[in-house]
Amino acid sequence: MLAPKSLLLLAGAALSSAARLVVSIPSSQLLPNPSTLPSSTHAILLGPPGVRYDAPIRRDNTFVFNDIPDASYLLTLQSRDHFFPPLRVDVTKAPEEAAQTISAWQTFRGNEWSNKGPSYGTGKGDLIIAVNPIAQKDFYMVRGGFNLLSFFKNPMILMALGSGVLIFGMPYIMDNMDPEAKAEFEEMQKKSPLMGSQGAANQLQNFDLASWMAGRSAPAEGSGSAPSGGGGKKK
Amino acid sequence: MHLPLLGAVALLLQSTTAVFADEAWTIDYHYALLGAPKEETTFFHQPNPSSRASLIYTLSEEGVVGAVNPRDGALVWRQSLKSADIPSNAGFLRGGEGQDVVVGGIGNKTTAWSAADGRLVWTIETPGRIEDLEILELQDASQTPGVKDTIVLTSGNSPSILRVDGASGVSKWTYSIDNGDIPYQVSASATEIFAIVLHKSLLGNIKIKVISLDPVTGRKNDEYTLSSDSELSSTETIISVGANSASPIIAWTDAARTVLKVNIIGTKNVASFNIEKHNEHGVTNVRLHAPFHTNSLAHFLVHFETDISHWGEVYHIDLKKSKVEKAYSLPKINGKGAFSTSTSDANVYFTRISRGQVMTVSSASHGSLGRWALADLGIPVAKGEEAEPIHAVSEVSVKGDSVSAVRSAVFLSTGDWILIREGSPVWQRPELLATTQSAIFASPPEVEAFAQELQLEAHSNPVSAYIHRVTRHIQDWQRLPVVLSSLPQKIRNQLFGTTADSGLTGDVFGFHKVIACACKNGRVVALDAANPYKILWSKQAVELKAGESWNPTFKSASDGILVLEHGVGLQQLQFDASTGEVPSSGAIRVVNPSVGTVQFSLHDGELEANKVGSAASGAIWRFLPGTGERILSLVPRPVNDPVASIGKVLGDRRVLYKYLSPNLALLATANDLTQTVSFYVLDTVSGATLHADTHSGVDLQAPIPSTLSENWFAYSYTSEASDDAPKGHYLVVGEMFESLVPNDRGPLTGKVNSSSLQAPAEPFVMLRSYQVPESVSKLAVTQTRQGITSRQLLAVLPDSSSIVGIPYGVVDPRRPIGRDPTKEEQGEGLVRYGPNIEFDPKWYLNHQREVLDISNIITSPALIESTSLVFAYGHDVFGTRLSPSFSFDILGKDFNKFQMLATVAALAVATFVVGPLVTRKQVNTRWQFA
Repeated sequence: MLAPKSLLLLAGAALSSAARLVVSIPSSQLLPNPSTLPSSTHAILLGPPGVRYDAPIRRDNTFVFNDIPDASYLLTLQSRDHFFPPLRVDVTKAPEEAAQTISAWQTFRGNEWSNKGPSYGTGKGDLIIAVNPIAQKDFYMVRGGFNLLSFFKNPMILMALGSGVLIFGMPYIMDNMDPEAKAEFEEMQKKSPLMGSQGAANQLQNFDLASWMAGRSAPAEGSGSAPSGGGGKKK
Repeated sequence: MHLPLLGAVALLLQSTTAVFADEAWTIDYHYALLGAPKEETTFFHQPNPSSRASLIYTLSEEGVVGAVNPRDGALVWRQSLKSADIPSNAGFLRGGEGQDVVVGGIGNKTTAWSAADGRLVWTIETPGRIEDLEILELQDASQTPGVKDTIVLTSGNSPSILRVDGASGVSKWTYSIDNGDIPYQVSASATEIFAIVLHKSLLGNIKIKVISLDPVTGRKNDEYTLSSDSELSSTETIISVGANSASPIIAWTDAARTVLKVNIIGTKNVASFNIEKHNEHGVTNVRLHAPFHTNSLAHFLVHFETDISHWGEVYHIDLKKSKVEKAYSLPKINGKGAFSTSTSDANVYFTRISRGQVMTVSSASHGSLGRWALADLGIPVAKGEEAEPIHAVSEVSVKGDSVSAVRSAVFLSTGDWILIREGSPVWQRPELLATTQSAIFASPPEVEAFAQELQLEAHSNPVSAYIHRVTRHIQDWQRLPVVLSSLPQKIRNQLFGTTADSGLTGDVFGFHKVIACACKNGRVVALDAANPYKILWSKQAVELKAGESWNPTFKSASDGILVLEHGVGLQQLQFDASTGEVPSSGAIRVVNPSVGTVQFSLHDGELEANKVGSAASGAIWRFLPGTGERILSLVPRPVNDPVASIGKVLGDRRVLYKYLSPNLALLATANDLTQTVSFYVLDTVSGATLHADTHSGVDLQAPIPSTLSENWFAYSYTSEASDDAPKGHYLVVGEMFESLVPNDRGPLTGKVNSSSLQAPAEPFVMLRSYQVPESVSKLAVTQTRQGITSRQLLAVLPDSSSIVGIPYGVVDPRRPIGRDPTKEEQGEGLVRYGPNIEFDPKWYLNHQREVLDISNIITSPALIESTSLVFAYGHDVFGTRLSPSFSFDILGKDFNKFQMLATVAALAVATFVVGPLVTRKQVNTRWQFA
């Protein structure tokens, strides 16, 4: 994990260092129970070239890094089912102080290293930070398969079904009506603007293109021959 | 006018590859492996003390700790402790009785894991290497109630014994062994802790010294040397000791294995037993099996092995008299066998697994409590080979006086780990695949032969091709009975099944490829890519001595013959891909490179090229890395890398010509002093450098993978923060063109032929660098039959144990920088450049699986153009099928056969129902008058 050469390089710093970083995962909306995280979840602290620490998840949902030498680190958390934000962790030691200072901020990939996000905390010799997942990994693409409910939600299908009911159901309704109501209904239909010989639909159906082209403004009264089946029935 | 066409092109380019929910666990396969389990670190243990259900724990030879469910062989958890500088065989794993943790040690780290889920409980680092580790079964006031402490023995500059608190991992006391003796083992009785150290005498013999310590204070109570005299010359003949048995013992033999000496630790007298021979075959191996529980009977079994047979002898320890007595022996059986010890209350049971039989006896008497004939193990073995049990662990259920059930996890000589329940195998885990060193795709010879015949017809003149075809069809008639008899099955499969149900032959899509894997122990294992959980064949290719490595590499797999080269005498082996047999001499062909080809290889840190057959010996060119630089890797363009189009069609129908040279290689060098990495694109015929780039501040300990395909290359590295780049992992993709002006071939304009040797044209390279969320350890590219399908960059992510397939459109170096793409560029599928690529979870080929330590990915085209087969190996084995531009030439899972048939049927019914209605209506309109 740690190269011997860089170990030597860091040995001087490591001798005095006792900086300890604890990363904990609290319960959050995306992850109500962090204890369900698989045991392969781990945190990586990436330091200067050759320096890299890897901490597996503990029983209490924390990752612990002990004795971190002074440097600027990139902290990433890897989990099977969740994405965690990348963090920048700086470990520094002022010459007059005994303990190292550890600070953590959010960092942004594809941005300058100096571009720091909100701070996660600063500690002397010891820092405990809480990190929440930013997203759940959704691995699977669902095919737009056939679904009966969505099929019937389609307005075109609804319209087709509606007209189907009218075509097949109307004759039966008409047949079962008592003669008076039937006559009344037919009368009403004739009067309606859409139906009947004067109705818009009928006029459109019997539109005389030739006479219109010839310049006649309106067809003469009664010129359209009455359809054999009757407007209502045909519709 | 060309809008629909453009749309189609865009569709091809923008294809986001994704794992479909309905294909996720069916077309991909994964062996979550542990590696070969070691005998002394494998045991049954109850992760939850309140429940009786137990798991099998092991620390494998590969340095992976894990738990396996004995019911189905599924992996419960695992943690890799692999490390480059630690020999893998020096690891320990213990589980204390009634404890919910297992404690393991490797290198200089001792770690306790939660037994149920594998999470870390505590870890400590010791200055010296761990030599032994035990769980202290006895309880005293100083420890947390219910939690048992651990004793660790370390070597190094100051060998010492530590007692570690079982709850917190804090060391309670340390005793240093400072008289120059070699620490060997640690053991504990009910009252004392014993450290066994080896004292080297002047004559080179070894004397066994026992130091007894007070468990509470860690002070030395006593120290004495056993009279082992001159019989002990090396540690090899010391037989390991059952550590926490009621009465710990130490046993050893002389070098010739004729006398067995046993000492009860804590006493000074040594019991001596003669070892008999079997038909003049001397004993080659002696092992000792003792119970691990303090409250069990003080009985143990000694397991003797000769070249042809094995047997066991059971000994009893009389605790009052401190005497060891032989109780009975178990008969000699031919072949190898395995003994395992199990306890139930105080009783001790020994289970013997030998060829064809499982038997359980009580330690008290030799009468068999249960005997089962061993059924077929379900392991493919080569002809004349026997899968021999190497070691086993067992769990015995006892009802009254008889054994009602026995489960044994047996490690076999074939490298498989199997579970036997009363003589019938329950599951098999091919743990040897965890050591795969080389793998290759091969087509079965039948498929290859057919493809060759078709090629023959395509390339001969029409008349002879026609005659050839007619004769082929006549020959096909001979297969009619077979075809007819398999017809019902075929129809059934066609209607309800998937393509994976068919066998190796008769595979129309080319999904059933043979994948041959060469493993560390000298075996070759073959899998079927479309039916991977059934191993096709497994064969010991080379007999290796202990500690010998054979460095196998597959050279080719043409015509269904696998050619394997290995390091043991640089030999070449050939196998038939579908059976594993050595092909008949007629089929063997030696492939020699033709005269005039340029061969290049790495020699002493420099790259050298030679011309085959040229009279003048010596290199035609050399590539010397700069001072302080060393060569990291060399990736040539794949031999089989078909390119469908020589240019890239732009949105406005103009063409950018690709720089397509078959002789390209990508070389990576590193400079340790300046921490820079350089990448060179070389012309391998002339040795010319076509493109070079250097990156500074690079972490050279992190992986630096690279790949090259068609006219583009990709590499990845990890870099330190600098003024112009943040700290993190980078992926760089470069594409080479003949010129950057559309419809212009640059210096090659008007030329039909060009040569690398005469004024070669240099490519114009477009580069884009992206920051990626995690480090990439290996890059590969998908391969399809004709290269029409868009390519996908495959990247192994070791940190998240996964493999992603990155669509080329995402990393395309032609992504416009600093401006939005024009309408034409949008039509090509280009999006504005961003410095950052986040891996979409839908690109994860492994989806929810976790693939550990993948060292290489190989790809192979299927017979259909849309699909590429992918196989990744290393520690885990993972494979899948990819369709980077979706499955445009095959009806996939989204095509619902049943729905189509139902629609046709519904339409037919509707026609029949509505038909009479319409006729009646038509008649009525003519005849009815309102």
